[in-house]
Formats: sequence, C-alpha cells, structure tokens
Amino acid sequence: MQRGLDVQRVALTAALLVLAALWLAPIVWVLVTSLKVTADIVRVPPEWIPWPATTAHYREVLFSSSRTARIGRAFLNSVVVGVGTTVLVLITSAMAAYPLARMRFPGRGLVFTVLVGSLMIPNAVVLVPQYVLVQQLGWLSTFQGLIVPEAATTFAFGVFLLRQFILGMPGELEDAARIDGANAWQVFWRVVLPLSQPVLAALGIFAFRSAWNDFLWPLIAVNKPEMFPLPVALALLRSAYSSESYGPIMAGAALSAVPLLVVFLVANRRIVEGVRLSGLKG
Amino acid sequence: MRQTRTAYLFLAPGLALFVVFRVYPLLEGLRLSFTNARLGRAAVRYVGIANYTRLLEDTRFHVSLANTAFYTVASTLPVLVIPLVLALALNRGALRTVLRSVFFFPFTLSVVTVGLTWLWLLDPVVGPFNYYLRTAGLPARSWLADPATAMWAIIATTVWWVTGYYLVIYLAGLQDIPRELYEAAALDGASGWRSFRSITLPLLRPVLLFVVVTHIIGSFQLFGQVFVLTGGGPGDATRTVVQHLYEAAFQNFFQFGAASAMAWALFAVILLFSIFQFRLLRGHTEY
Repeated sequence: MQRGLDVQRVALTAALLVLAALWLAPIVWVLVTSLKVTADIVRVPPEWIPWPATTAHYREVLFSSSRTARIGRAFLNSVVVGVGTTVLVLITSAMAAYPLARMRFPGRGLVFTVLVGSLMIPNAVVLVPQYVLVQQLGWLSTFQGLIVPEAATTFAFGVFLLRQFILGMPGELEDAARIDGANAWQVFWRVVLPLSQPVLAALGIFAFRSAWNDFLWPLIAVNKPEMFPLPVALALLRSAYSSESYGPIMAGAALSAVPLLVVFLVANRRIVEGVRLSGLKG
Repeated sequence: MRQTRTAYLFLAPGLALFVVFRVYPLLEGLRLSFTNARLGRAAVRYVGIANYTRLLEDTRFHVSLANTAFYTVASTLPVLVIPLVLALALNRGALRTVLRSVFFFPFTLSVVTVGLTWLWLLDPVVGPFNYYLRTAGLPARSWLADPATAMWAIIATTVWWVTGYYLVIYLAGLQDIPRELYEAAALDGASGWRSFRSITLPLLRPVLLFVVVTHIIGSFQLFGQVFVLTGGGPGDATRTVVQHLYEAAFQNFFQFGAASAMAWALFAVILLFSIFQFRLLRGHTEY
C-alpha cells in the first residue's frame, strides 16, 4: 500500500517536472534566439544552444534601432511610469484605507461600496472619455498622463487590500500611541504604516506590474516616440523589422522581462501573498 | 465630528484621483454615447440612441462581438480547469514552491512580450512548434494565418500566460480547506474522487466564482494578444470588440460618440455574463 503511493507520487512529480519544463520552454526559446547570430536564428532543426553567442541584437535594440522603437529609452520611460504609479497608488490607497478601517464617519459604507463596485468596471469602458480628459488637461505624451490614470485604476483595489489587512491588525499599539498623545496622522504614519509593510510590498509589486505591462492606454495616450513605454515600443519593433529578423525582437522581449523577473526572484513570497489576497477576499 | 473631518482629509487625495479619473470618465462615456462627438468637433449634438441603433447594423461589430464571445466561452473551461488540476497536483507533491514559481513566471510578462514570444514559436516556416509537430508526424500549419485555428492559438497563448495566476489563487483556496475534513472523509472510507466532489469542489466554490468572473471581465476586453499576433485577421476572424472600439475611436475618424456606445454595449454584455455566472456558481447550496 505504502509503496503503491510512493510510486504514484514519484510519477506525479515527474509529470509535473516535464510540464514545468514545457511551460518554461517558450521563455528559454526567446532568450536563446536573442543570443544567436542572425543566420542561426532561422536554421531548422531548432538549436537550443546559442553558439556562437552574440550580444549584437541587444546592442541594436538598445542603441541603434529605428527612432520609434528604441528600447533603451522606452525602458527608462517604463521605469518612471512604473515607479511613479507605485508611489502614487501606495500613498493614496494607504491614506484612504486607514479611516475606512478604523474611523466611524457618515458616508463610510457608501464610499467603500462604490470603491469595491468600481472593481467590476472594465477599463475599456472608460478608455475614450479618459483620453478626452487627459487631452483637455494637456497630458497626452507626458509621464503624468500615463501615471495618474494608471494609479486611479489600481487605487480601489489597493484600498480594498489594505483595509482588509488593517482590519486584521490588533489595535492596541494604535491605542497606546493615542494615549501617548499622538494625533491621527502620527498614528497612521508611525504605527499603521510600519505594521502594514508586508501588504504594502505586495500592493507595490501589483501596481508596478500593472503599470509596467499595460499596453492599450499608453498606445493611445502617447504619440511622441520618445515617450513610448516598453510594450508600445516592443509592438512597434515588430513592425519595424520584417518577421525574419527575430533577433532584435526577441532581445527586446527578453529585456522587457528583466525588472519583474528580478522583483519576482527577490520577493516571490510577497507576490504570491498579493495574488492570494487579491483572489480570496475579492 | 472631528473624526469625520479627519477621515475625509485622509480620504481626500485618493477620492479626488478616483472621482476625476474613474467615476467622471465612466459617466462622461455614457453621455458621449448619446452624442456625435468626434476629435476636434466643436459643435457636439445629442443624437439620441442613434449610435446604439447604428451598432445593430454594423456587421463588423457583430463579427467582433461574436469572436469575443467565442473566445470568452471557449477559453473559460481551460482557464478554469488547467490551473485547478495543477493546483491539486502541486498541493500534494514535493517542489510546490519551485513549480508554482515556474508556472507563475509567464504572468509577470506583458501581453506584448507574450504575444511576440508566441508569434515566434508559431512561425509557420522556422518556428519550433511546427518543427516538432512535423517530427512527431503531425500536420504542421500556419496557426495564426488560418481562420480555423487563429482564435485557438490566441486562446492557447492566453492560457499559457494566465495559468500561473489562477494556480496561485487555487492553491491558496485549497490551503484554506481544513485538513480534518479530508481525514474524516478518509476514515469514512471515501475515495479521493469522492472527497474531491464532496469537500474540495463545494468549498472552492467562491474561488471558482472569482476565477470565472475575473476571467470573463478580462476576456471581453481581449485586445493585446490579437494586436500582436494577428491584427484581427485573417480577414476578421480574430477581430475583437475592443479592437473595433479602438479603431473607431483612434484610427478612423476618431468617432468618440460611436466608440462610447460600443463601450457601454460591451459593459452591458459583461454585466449580463457576470450575473449569469454568479447565478450559476452561487447555485442552490450555501455553505
């Protein structure tokens, strides 16, 4: 009996390992392609070891590809938008979540219901009016035109996540601080925020990811090539090269994966925790 | 009273952001849908429900809607089942953390990166996918250029992309089911399948509901994958509602009124689908 179970277990693990390898294969293939010399890229049968290896495609997309699709500049734009959005989401969500979790005031239920209800709104529905608004503000092709709408999209989710977390925190430390004469702002800043670090990290990663990966909004909100974020520049890179020259395209694709891969390796548990919270309490 | 003031001071920055960039655009979109607004048009008039009635005659919109609905329906089952099966397997076995990370990794990529990856994999001439199919004695084809397979290729791409996300959610849901229930069931002689049917599935219902509703809201907004992989083609075989909307609003004549009507029609369809799913999955049993 015991032995039968063991065999089953080993077989299951082996099957999962094979599946996992297949799951990673597309990414490995991108990386391998990006390192091959152009002549080797289209060679059949597919060769999984890029030898001789070259960094020529990376140098090309970073420094010398067409003006509309320069990946180096787009990378920096995406970093600015990603970080800006993350900071804005963290500040606004945390400040809003605190009173919703801890204070009694008229309108609290309504505000919270509207915020949660807004999670059901598809982004595509606000696309056109948001464009009109951003255009009237003179924010097309600017960082604020990318950051502020992006942050507004994630804000409600952030409030929801943080409020849930603060509700689960014991209130004694806050009471103690209040007895020591701290005002609401000091309690929030010195007690609530430090205690919320894990969930703030999870929300920060979530916000960064959405901003880093968003495609449709920057596609319409930016019309100056030097302001394109990565996904838009990458999509244009595809049209800039014929389909035979996969080298530069794959180099761009690989570069675009780096920041979140790093975040992911460093903060794997936080990400999983964030997804978990997003799913279960939603 | 003081607390009310303090509370709203804390809320002010976030609510300002939310009202200006979320609530106002939502309502403004509804208003625009009853106008003939265009980019740069000074004299905007109300045209009643003309934009909506025109949608009834817009055959390309119908095709887009049908494609989007097909994608949503056809992708729901794989997106619901594949991560669940993986989660059940991972929940038992060793290497849970490592394998979870592997499956999650594609989800960290942008839709454009994912699209470019699969564009290359599925390349009809030099892509590895067709090569290995041929090696295995199976027919190779131009997956993205064939109207019969293009949408399925997009579905496969999406499944690869999002499986890890739902896997993590399922795993968390499975962890929250008390072990004792399974132990009690085992003592009563219940088989693995039986305890899955009687314990796992019912207790996972809220998670399943979350997955389905999230997936449906996302599916109806399908755009990025199509933009990169097929551009809506071949013909209009993979054209989607958001692509139709995007082109009406930002490519051809900047018809903001007509595009807003499409957006609200889409919103209505999503709401209907979501309510239907709620009904279906809430079911009769309450736990």
